[in-house]
Amino acid sequence: MNRALAWARQDMRRVIAALVGLVLAVLMLPPLWILLQDSITTTDAIGDVTGFTLAHFGKLFTDKDAIRSIWNSLVFAAGSTALSLIVGGVLAWLVERTNAPFKILAYLATIISLGTPYILHVIAWLFLLGKIGPLNDAYRTLTGGTANLFNVNSMAGMILIEGFLWSPLVFLLLGSTFRAANADMEEAARMSGATVLQTLRRVSLPLAMPAILALALFVFIRAIGGFEVPALVGMPGRIYVLTTDVYEATIVVPPDLGYAAAFSVVMVVIVAVLLYFYSRLSKNAEKYHSVTGKGFRPRPFDLGAGRWIAGAIIIANFCIVLVLPMLTLLWMSLLPFLRGFSVAGLSMLTLKNFRTVFTAPGYVELATNSLMVAAAAATFIMAITALAGWIAARRGPGGWLLDQLATLSLVFPGICLGVAVMEVYLRVPLPIYGSLWIIAIAYVIRFMPYGMRYVYSGVLQLHHELEEAAGVAGAGSLTTLRRIVAPLLSPAIIAGWLFIFLVANKELAIAVLLASPGSQVIAVSIFDQWVNGQGGELAAFGLIWTVLMTVIACLFFAQGRRGGTDVFGN
Amino acid sequence: MLTVRDLTKIYANRFDTQAGGVREVSFDLPEGTFFTLLGPSGCGKTTTLRCVAGLERPDAGTIAVGDRVLFDSTSKTAVPLNERGIGMVFQSYAIWPHMTVFENIAFPLRVAKGVKPGKEEVRSLVEQALSTVGLAGYGDRPATRLSGGQQQRVALARAIVHRPKLLLLDEPLSNLDAALREEMRIELRRLQQQIGVTTIYVTHDQSEALAMSDRIAVMEKGRIVQMGNPREIYFRPASVFVASFIGAANLLTGICDGAVVPGAIGSVRLPDGARIGCLFPAGGADGQATTVSVRPESIVFADQAVLSGIVTAASFLGGSARYDVQVGDSVLRVVGGAEEVVAPGTSVGLSFAASSAVVVG
Repeated sequence: MNRALAWARQDMRRVIAALVGLVLAVLMLPPLWILLQDSITTTDAIGDVTGFTLAHFGKLFTDKDAIRSIWNSLVFAAGSTALSLIVGGVLAWLVERTNAPFKILAYLATIISLGTPYILHVIAWLFLLGKIGPLNDAYRTLTGGTANLFNVNSMAGMILIEGFLWSPLVFLLLGSTFRAANADMEEAARMSGATVLQTLRRVSLPLAMPAILALALFVFIRAIGGFEVPALVGMPGRIYVLTTDVYEATIVVPPDLGYAAAFSVVMVVIVAVLLYFYSRLSKNAEKYHSVTGKGFRPRPFDLGAGRWIAGAIIIANFCIVLVLPMLTLLWMSLLPFLRGFSVAGLSMLTLKNFRTVFTAPGYVELATNSLMVAAAAATFIMAITALAGWIAARRGPGGWLLDQLATLSLVFPGICLGVAVMEVYLRVPLPIYGSLWIIAIAYVIRFMPYGMRYVYSGVLQLHHELEEAAGVAGAGSLTTLRRIVAPLLSPAIIAGWLFIFLVANKELAIAVLLASPGSQVIAVSIFDQWVNGQGGELAAFGLIWTVLMTVIACLFFAQGRRGGTDVFGN
Repeated sequence: MLTVRDLTKIYANRFDTQAGGVREVSFDLPEGTFFTLLGPSGCGKTTTLRCVAGLERPDAGTIAVGDRVLFDSTSKTAVPLNERGIGMVFQSYAIWPHMTVFENIAFPLRVAKGVKPGKEEVRSLVEQALSTVGLAGYGDRPATRLSGGQQQRVALARAIVHRPKLLLLDEPLSNLDAALREEMRIELRRLQQQIGVTTIYVTHDQSEALAMSDRIAVMEKGRIVQMGNPREIYFRPASVFVASFIGAANLLTGICDGAVVPGAIGSVRLPDGARIGCLFPAGGADGQATTVSVRPESIVFADQAVLSGIVTAASFLGGSARYDVQVGDSVLRVVGGAEEVVAPGTSVGLSFAASSAVVVG
């Protein structure tokens, strides 16, 4: 018999692993390499390396502004992490473990916020807390003076807005922790005579602590890399953090790419260290996971009369996270120019902005561009990770390496990845730079880890005997993959696709440096419009977009329920 | 029919426990044998089965079905699992939830190498398999809407539909409740005899092994420690481990009194001076330290007693009664008739036949 053929069939998994590994290496390694190279070399005008230098790092560690940016980043990330944990955590506990009313509102706010681009939230909050916003307006009316109560373009403003931006995610992830916790342990505490508060403090919180710490680190990492709030809220107030420094260094003429790269390397190192602790913590958190798997519904705490206070908290959160920002956007979209809430304004209401959105040529093209880029990236990612995740989860040939490669981009904050991808594809002699392709490639690199997480945990949920049974029945690797693994994995693959599609349409930081006038995506275009003062049109367009994305977010949650995977693949 | 020689597969030592795996396992099975690998968890029985199936690659040894070598470490032969033509029932049943019952069972036929059976042939083979396992008419059901017992039958039908030469069963009854397990035990044995397929059955449940098997191999720490038919295993345990793992055993220690030839009855002196007659399967030397196993149901209360003691506990079990009897320093378990009542505190004499007291070490 043909030996080569027999080898190929027997080792089909090896062939697949090698091909997938090659694709992953080509995508994931160059950005990291180029950042390191740029940060320690000097280059000439066309980007060729001319020499070795430590000047970029030197500048970074001696420049007072740079050190202040690092400090600001830490304060900003720590503050917003604390705020989002408190808000999201309280909400999660009330919704999952007590008999508080209006629980549905918490879910509703979460689903819709998952579909809304971060930048829309930020803009709405800038308006609400800004100089012409209702808060300062009311204060001026009360005091009769011209001084404002609150300056939104401050560190406090940044933390406030970023904190509320992340609280829905905290709500979702902590919610699943509280849901999975073993109610017996709390009931045992109650039976021993503890009050609700004592139980919470002595039993529930210590049990959830590893999960809470892991989540805190996760939010901290994301906030360090956050771009929308620092750019829109911080920069006008001259408060710089690492991400905005990278951005500034890239958009000045001529761009100081070495400096941006050095900044990026610092951030990548910080994030990598944090990620290391995160993975240790979340392993620890799994140990504490006291799931019984009996499919039980834990008995909620009875808050007594306190449940109405709890209900008020839920409603307040609903207003802050959803109602106020959406009303603001609606107000902005219905007025011909930006002005504060007022009765006088009501007489000026007009649908002109909505008409413009539907008739002006740019918007439809912009929407199609965004959707297509996100869909292409999500499809490509899921195709690659379906194979890589399967091999990795089943400890197949090279599985560990595939996993490391696919999740490598977790160390990149969005803006740093933008810089790196720009640098890489400026040097590639293909017409990728300046086209939509470069954004799609950046999305693929950025969101590859998410696809991996969905597939990996999906495969772990499949009993390995399901595949072994196919092998014993006579099926080869490819047949098993096609007839058994792929169909059983499809819920996880679909959920992963929808999630990537949603977040790709939300994020500004990755695309902001890569988009060019002919190839725009939503978040970048909203950013430009805000900077250019076209608030009305962007609000109208943003609202329509939010409705569209909410539909997809609903699909995603329905899929998550069906597939049984955790919402964020975590 | 199936020949396994010196099969060895060592797992790297994890944590502080002894390295798992199997060492130099050998057995030969005639056509149609119901062969059971029996042992506590971690003894290597499942590893042995998975090596035969092709799910694990052994470090050394040979595996052959008839003249066909499936694995040979010296000639580097390793037939891939999907070309071995073996049927297997997994512990979790591994019923594919996205297929109907019919499609689950038809799968081995659809992925068959070489000549694929036609549509009509598939239908008739599947229906035949379904009726063999007593599920005729269930073909259109989604696989997710089956009870535990039904899933097990589907798994069995899938394993036999392509008429394999060898059937492997990996603890197939362990996920069923007690009553159903009893029923399936009889059913499985009947089915195996009906189709006459050589079968390897893995279990840690000694009563399953005794009830179903033609031959049993008892495994401990990766090795086969005794192989024989169920009666031999039960009544002639070869070691302390086998005696205490299969059923309850009373172990008495003493000194061999005079040389005994293998297979003869000899005498053992207990520490308190009493002498008991017992069987020496491997013979014995004068003065040799000896452990004797006596089954609780072999001991009777008698006036002309070999041993005497005091009843310390008595429990009524319906069909029988169980007693703990203090004899010297040790407590013997005795199973007696249910009608007889012996209250705790009673002095009793104990007697047993020399042929039912077996020297195990």
